[in-house]
Amino acid sequence: MVEYIRIAAFLGAGLSVGIGAITTGIGSGLIAGEGAKALIVQPKANESIFRTMLIGQAAAQTAGIFALVISMLLLYGISEAPEGGWFKTAAYLSAGLAMGLGSIGSSYGAGYAGGQACKSVARMPKQSNMILGNMLIGQALAQTSAIFALLVAFLLLYSVPEQPEGLEIGNIIVKSLALIGAGLAIGLGTLGPGTGVGYVAGKASDMIGRFPNEKLKILRTMFLGAAVSQSTAIYSLVVAFLLIFA
Amino acid sequence: MELAQGIVKAAALLGAGMCMGMGALGPGVGEGFVAGKACEGIARSPENASLITRTMLVGQAVSESTGIYSLVIALLLIFST
Amino acid sequence: MVKKKKGSILKVFLIFFVLELIIVFLSSDFNKQLQIGFQDGKFVFRNVQTTYDLQEKITEEFQIDEHYKRTGEEPKIYQSNKLYEFFKKIFGKASAIGTFQLLRMLLIVDFVLLLIAFLIKKRIFERPSKPQIMFELLYGAFEEFVVETLSEKRRHFTPYIVTLFIFIWICNMIGMIPIPGFMEPTRNLNVPLGLGFAAVVVVHVTAIKTKGLWRHLQNYINPVKNPLFLLDIVGEISKVVSISFRLFGNILGGAIIILVVSSLVKYVVFPVGLNLFFGIFVGTIQAFVFTMLALTYIGVEVVE
Repeated sequence: MVEYIRIAAFLGAGLSVGIGAITTGIGSGLIAGEGAKALIVQPKANESIFRTMLIGQAAAQTAGIFALVISMLLLYGISEAPEGGWFKTAAYLSAGLAMGLGSIGSSYGAGYAGGQACKSVARMPKQSNMILGNMLIGQALAQTSAIFALLVAFLLLYSVPEQPEGLEIGNIIVKSLALIGAGLAIGLGTLGPGTGVGYVAGKASDMIGRFPNEKLKILRTMFLGAAVSQSTAIYSLVVAFLLIFA
Repeated sequence: MELAQGIVKAAALLGAGMCMGMGALGPGVGEGFVAGKACEGIARSPENASLITRTMLVGQAVSESTGIYSLVIALLLIFST
Repeated sequence: MVKKKKGSILKVFLIFFVLELIIVFLSSDFNKQLQIGFQDGKFVFRNVQTTYDLQEKITEEFQIDEHYKRTGEEPKIYQSNKLYEFFKKIFGKASAIGTFQLLRMLLIVDFVLLLIAFLIKKRIFERPSKPQIMFELLYGAFEEFVVETLSEKRRHFTPYIVTLFIFIWICNMIGMIPIPGFMEPTRNLNVPLGLGFAAVVVVHVTAIKTKGLWRHLQNYINPVKNPLFLLDIVGEISKVVSISFRLFGNILGGAIIILVVSSLVKYVVFPVGLNLFFGIFVGTIQAFVFTMLALTYIGVEVVE
């Protein structure tokens, strides 16, 4: 049994950082590409474009860092001889899946937002500070779904009870597959909302660069639109909670 | 619980998770698109802000309906088997 | 001058960060913890072995009833408290601690709200003081939102909206005060669920007042006028779920992440940044989003 739990933990660690790194790379690349294009358009503003690009890339990699944290916890945070039976096996595998899949959408969305911000800085270098602030707020909103995935991953790691002695095989299968289902629900469910919120943040950054006078109205619409787009991620969170605790 | 019964229940729970997960994918992207375009619209014609916001919310509510279908199916799978 | 000061603070943070990374890598064991403080009259700075377990800590912090049920002991701080004894009689021993903690926090938040109201009301001058200017700005901004979304004649919704915002904001902020037993009331699902349910009730009462009971009910029971009426009923329920779970999930997620990550990095420097992000930034944005959603739900219903 000990071997199975450790195999599941290592598998989860690999899946987490492996899947999570896919779009972290794509997002950072999007920002770098848009930044290079922006430099050609507006070579005079190279300093502010470079700064926006670097900060945007750092913020876009947050979800990747979450995946790395979960992976480290799965690799080093588990004792040599873990206990807990099949429940823990399923929970460790599922935690890796949840965080890995959950960081795809957010990283891509944050990357899109950063790219649009670079484009916008090139068009209006005087407003670079405002665009940078808006980009950071938008990227933080896009990371909310990754935070939900991280929450479920932590709950799977630390609040799943150990398997009681003498449980029938039917009950073991039900609970284990329910835990894996919870990971899949939040992992796949945050994919769409993350991308969508990133699109909202990108459009808002773009428009703030063009019409800086309408800043407050654009910000408010961005908050509202991003919040409503996240409701499906919240339904996934509810289903994941039900599957873990009920 | 018997093995056969357990497998059915387990499949239902796994299905609930996958149902909600995949069902949330489309509406999320779609609602984000609506909100992004609404940002653009408000920036271009700020005097129609309240009209655009209202249209955005109604549009998002309609695009969310498939997400709500998934939620209903997931809850049915969890509680009725 | 100011710039120079900023730079020096940044340097101190960077030095601490590097030190912390070195300590984390050297110890490479998550059961060790850095101890700084006085012991036997000497200043101590060392890495001690602790045997706490993260799972038990999360249970103690977030499911306090479950924790005391499992360990079977009485909580020490509340033992002699008369109010706690009273609660134990009403709710039973199993759920007394959680309820007591939550209601105490809610009463503190209410007290802060009342205090703000009295102070503002008492100190209205011709030449406004600083807090008065701040609150007038806040009220004015929200009044503008209300007038823009509803209409000029529904200006009277402003006090409700502003109170909702200030209440949720204080709820989200109060968890940052480092006193044992302090927590965000919004971390408990019952509080956001209650607020969301109240907001949706306000939406429907306003809709009935403007359209009339029969015209409003037809949306939900008449299959001829609205073929998708079942979907609309589910939609109304999902409104409550999404508005309340959004607040709850964000605050709970922030709290769990702060707890886990700060115990991983031995409580050095990192918790400050985490509290800045999850406490102030996420807390303010979620309070604003909750309020704005409640407002626009009303706005969608009253359109003529």
